[in-house]
Amino acid sequence: MSLEQELRRTLSRKDPPAGFDNKVLSRIAARETVSTPAQVRRWPRAVLPIAASLILAFGASYYLQQEQQQRHTREAQAQTEQAARDVVLALQIASEKISAAQAKVEEITRYEPTNDR
Amino acid sequence: MLTAAALPRIPVSEDQVLAEARNGNESAFASIVREHQSMVFGLAYHFLQSQAEAEELAQDVFLALHQNLSRVESARHLVFWLRRVTSNRCIDCVRSSQRRRELPMDDLHEPAESPRFGDPLLQELLRSLVAELAPDARMVVALRFQEDLDLSEIAAIVDMPLNTVKSHLRRSMDALRRKLAARGHVYES
Repeated sequence: MSLEQELRRTLSRKDPPAGFDNKVLSRIAARETVSTPAQVRRWPRAVLPIAASLILAFGASYYLQQEQQQRHTREAQAQTEQAARDVVLALQIASEKISAAQAKVEEITRYEPTNDR
Repeated sequence: MLTAAALPRIPVSEDQVLAEARNGNESAFASIVREHQSMVFGLAYHFLQSQAEAEELAQDVFLALHQNLSRVESARHLVFWLRRVTSNRCIDCVRSSQRRRELPMDDLHEPAESPRFGDPLLQELLRSLVAELAPDARMVVALRFQEDLDLSEIAAIVDMPLNTVKSHLRRSMDALRRKLAARGHVYES
């Protein structure tokens, strides 16, 4: 016997316990209600793609925002580094100028006659 | 209070019975319950593997039917409606409670109920293996083999694309064959 035949035997229709119909009718007579059929409460199939699209859109927007922020940070950092390099260069030039001036002063001082006599 | 025994059976067409029930005839509704209770209870039982839970769910389905009779257009639509609501309620029931697939002790041994149907131990094993399937796949298998529906009918009932239904069925059958083979029952695909 095939598995399909075995499943048909195993999963055949099954009668409920005796009195099932009376229990249903009693509940109806008692004006008992049940919640809306489940399929109505289920989310429509379109909800999932819409939710996925929204998540993607928010994700992409967040990513672009982060990317832009990082670019700004990188640019600011580059500007700061350039400014620092300029300051160092300026200091180096100033230092060289001062050294040269100092050398001149020392040279002049060395050959200038003194007033000790 | 109404009792089913007190209500006479109505020897008319199913569409006529439905029309009577829609008009408030409780005996016609009782006739509908008796006609379809084994389908609804069977689906719930094979899915939930618990007689008590299946009975409660099946009663809820018929109560929902009573509340929504005006929406049911024909006897054919009635069968579709019952299968669909039963399927959805079964799947919702499992998903909402995250219930584990444990077989209640009172449902474990019922071989005496169907002695003419092959090996009861094998059937018990098959039932427990079907119960291990994921909810959607389990319902596809139950509709396929209890109701003998074709795949497009199942797709309409469980509101899934046809290819998803095919995939559920193929994977379920593969899984069942594999697990049965591991227990010494080999079936060719």
